[in-house]
Amino acid sequence: MRNALAIARKELGIYFSTPWAYVVFTAMLGISSFFFVNLLATFKEVQGLARVYGWARLPPEYGLFKNLTDGIVVQLWDVIGVITLFVAPFLSMRLFAEEKRNRTFELLMTAPVRPWEIVLGKYLGGVGVIWATLGLTIIFPITLSLFGSSESGTALEWSTVALGFGGLLLWGATCLGVGMFVSALTESQMLAAFLTFAILLPWMLLRGLAQSADEPWRSIANHLSFSTQLSTLSRGVLDLKALVFFLSVILFSLLLTHRTVEAQRWA
Amino acid sequence: MMAMIEVTGLTKRYRDRVAVEDLTFSVPEGEILGFLGPNGAGKSTTMKILTGYLPATSGTVKVAGFDVFEEPYEVKRRIGYLPETPPLYPEMTVRGYLKFVASIKGVRRGPMAAELERVAHATGVAEVMERLIQNLSKGYRQRVGVAQALLGNPPVLILDEPTEGLDPSQRAEVRQLIKGLAGQHTVILSTHILSEVTMTCERVLILNQGRMVAFDEIRNLAHALGQGDQTSLEDIFLKLTAAA
Repeated sequence: MRNALAIARKELGIYFSTPWAYVVFTAMLGISSFFFVNLLATFKEVQGLARVYGWARLPPEYGLFKNLTDGIVVQLWDVIGVITLFVAPFLSMRLFAEEKRNRTFELLMTAPVRPWEIVLGKYLGGVGVIWATLGLTIIFPITLSLFGSSESGTALEWSTVALGFGGLLLWGATCLGVGMFVSALTESQMLAAFLTFAILLPWMLLRGLAQSADEPWRSIANHLSFSTQLSTLSRGVLDLKALVFFLSVILFSLLLTHRTVEAQRWA
Repeated sequence: MMAMIEVTGLTKRYRDRVAVEDLTFSVPEGEILGFLGPNGAGKSTTMKILTGYLPATSGTVKVAGFDVFEEPYEVKRRIGYLPETPPLYPEMTVRGYLKFVASIKGVRRGPMAAELERVAHATGVAEVMERLIQNLSKGYRQRVGVAQALLGNPPVLILDEPTEGLDPSQRAEVRQLIKGLAGQHTVILSTHILSEVTMTCERVLILNQGRMVAFDEIRNLAHALGQGDQTSLEDIFLKLTAAA
């Protein structure tokens, strides 16, 4: 475990000494701010309409905008989930590919470190940086709670916000796990990023893609789809099924990565 | 004396290409063995197998009595390895890098600073400790690579061309350093520079096209080839590798 932590610390150090982490931070904040501002505008508009006509006469889907939590934060979490899918491959791509290209993989593999320590250390380092990225987005609900108000006391329903945020962290850790496994397969960082993306995106969209399929395939695809599992979490529902689902994907990715690293000894 | 490194019938094949064939040798504790051979003779491949980075196709390798394949962890604890390309992280400082390597080699936090100091002085990188590796000259990078191998004071050192990229005076320093390791460390050293071997090693192993063509003391090799003590290693080398 000491070795794993040493490797995790090294990974974090490298992330923060190269421009990558900062590029990803900026992208995440920039894109999510854009959506945040848009959501705010829509929220204001709907609230204005409601004041004139009353909620009863507005279309039912406007009901979301009755409070800031459902009207803005939950929707923002969904958007950030999608942004995460796009930025995670850029964070995970270097984990193993760079070591192989740099020939530093030889150092790790000939040091008295067990393969699982390498995998775990790298994973923890990667999760650290993606959680830092996601952590930045907590400023949006904080801003809302500082400047917003509602009829029922606090501006935001913090338990819903926090559970949704926890779901996002779990989602980020999942993307990173898949990305790390792909990175262990190749020496090329570009290829690793691209392949990770090519796995995550269809997986995310599985629900939509399988709409026209017959049962039971449609239900199966529905359950396996990232978007299905994410939607319950981001709404702040503590859904055990979704937790188990994401944790299984993470565990499975770690196991596959371990097998890939271990295979080096046999090839 | 006990054999620190024992290689028996070592063969490595990549599909149809044979990199190393039926290599058998042993190195007693405290000895420095010179590893010679033209480019592509299988020196680096052999070293990669010895350190547990690559698996052998057949044959066994034992270091300090532990089989590399069966007990890789025990073997890796005892080996300091400098690969052909020094395994450096360009974004790290020399200190950060050496600290990282020391920690995965099991150097504890207490003796860490002293260990870094010791290795940095021995290899002459003390004055660049705070610099980023990507900004170092080739000579310094190579020496950081050697420094990394010495961390944790492992009983066995496997050095793949440790003097590569150094200027003559740096080369002499590293040679001195390696010579000083004899007795307490068992060293396998590969190099292109034949005079280096004459100065540092007791015995040499010459590989050509994956096969061992000589494994003896330099003096004996000269005699065996029917020439006097004046024969240089260069002559021996050319003769043996041309014959194959």
